[in-house]
Amino acid sequence: MSGLGVYGAIIVAGFAVTYVWRFLAVLAIGRLDAESDLLLWVRAVATALVAALVLRLVTAPAGLLEQASMPGMLAALAVGVAAFLFAGRRVELATAAAIGCFFLADIILG
Amino acid sequence: MDDEQAESYDWRGLADGVRGAVCLAGLVMGCSFIGFGALIKSLDFGLFPAFFTIGFIWALPGQVVFADMWAKGAELSVIALAVAVTAVRLLPMAVLVLSKARLRGAPRWPLFVVAHFTAVTIWLLTNQMIDTIARPRRLPWMLGLGASLMTAMFAFTAAGYYLAESLPPALARTMVFFTPAFFLITLVSGARWRFDYWAIALGAAIGPVAAHYWPRFDLLIAGLVGGTVAFLLARPKRRGLLK
Repeated sequence: MSGLGVYGAIIVAGFAVTYVWRFLAVLAIGRLDAESDLLLWVRAVATALVAALVLRLVTAPAGLLEQASMPGMLAALAVGVAAFLFAGRRVELATAAAIGCFFLADIILG
Repeated sequence: MDDEQAESYDWRGLADGVRGAVCLAGLVMGCSFIGFGALIKSLDFGLFPAFFTIGFIWALPGQVVFADMWAKGAELSVIALAVAVTAVRLLPMAVLVLSKARLRGAPRWPLFVVAHFTAVTIWLLTNQMIDTIARPRRLPWMLGLGASLMTAMFAFTAAGYYLAESLPPALARTMVFFTPAFFLITLVSGARWRFDYWAIALGAAIGPVAAHYWPRFDLLIAGLVGGTVAFLLARPKRRGLLK
């Protein structure tokens, strides 16, 4: 890894690379079109990256989720998305459905 | 009410912002940080480094990417790139939030502070509430909102961390599972364009394949390839970068 330690790493590889966009936003107020092609592409890349992160947390789990059933987790994610799309588009209810489904699957399959 | 020419902020807005943090969106955010605390415990990342990510990154996807990649021993440059990619979405978000709060005659430094607080929940609450708040009070309102949400999230994260330790394994696993479930549903709920849906599907499909062939760069590859293909497949009508 590096000699920085976790706190130094958070400053360099966490804070700096995050705050830079917020800093640029202050400079760009009134000048940048938030719906330009460039920013929409960036949005698509960030969205795909977070979707990949979700799959990584589930298909290559570390820690506690290593003991969970992968089909159970994938089914719970599918239930959550379906609950969101077909039952009123409520984030909190859909998330509750997903983790409820996970809990049941975990008890039954695990 | 939309008095952009006012010369000083009205700091009475600060207390309104603190009160504004107590709401459904704040509660949902709290649950996501309880999940974050459980995930941190599960990754063996440490509670104080987790607090550090809250104060300095203040955007949950970036925090989770950092903790997950750090726990798996990724190189710092690769972590930095992945966190940077998750954080770019904060740029348009902060532009929208700040353009509704700034005063032309007032000092600019508070904007750089509020910019640090800008993340998805504050953006959401700003969109809901901002028109009901007098312009000189808006920036203090955001400061109060951001500072109190951040303080609360330290407590929620600690709660998740200790609960994951003390609850039965099935419940602890369920708390950890909150993070992927919440992220995926938030992505779907935030989708406004057709390419957003394509990006979710392609990122999810490419991620595990990339993890198999290029385990160190899986998130970056899935993001760049999935996002770019999604954008090209379902590109909205053209506009320039500058207004």
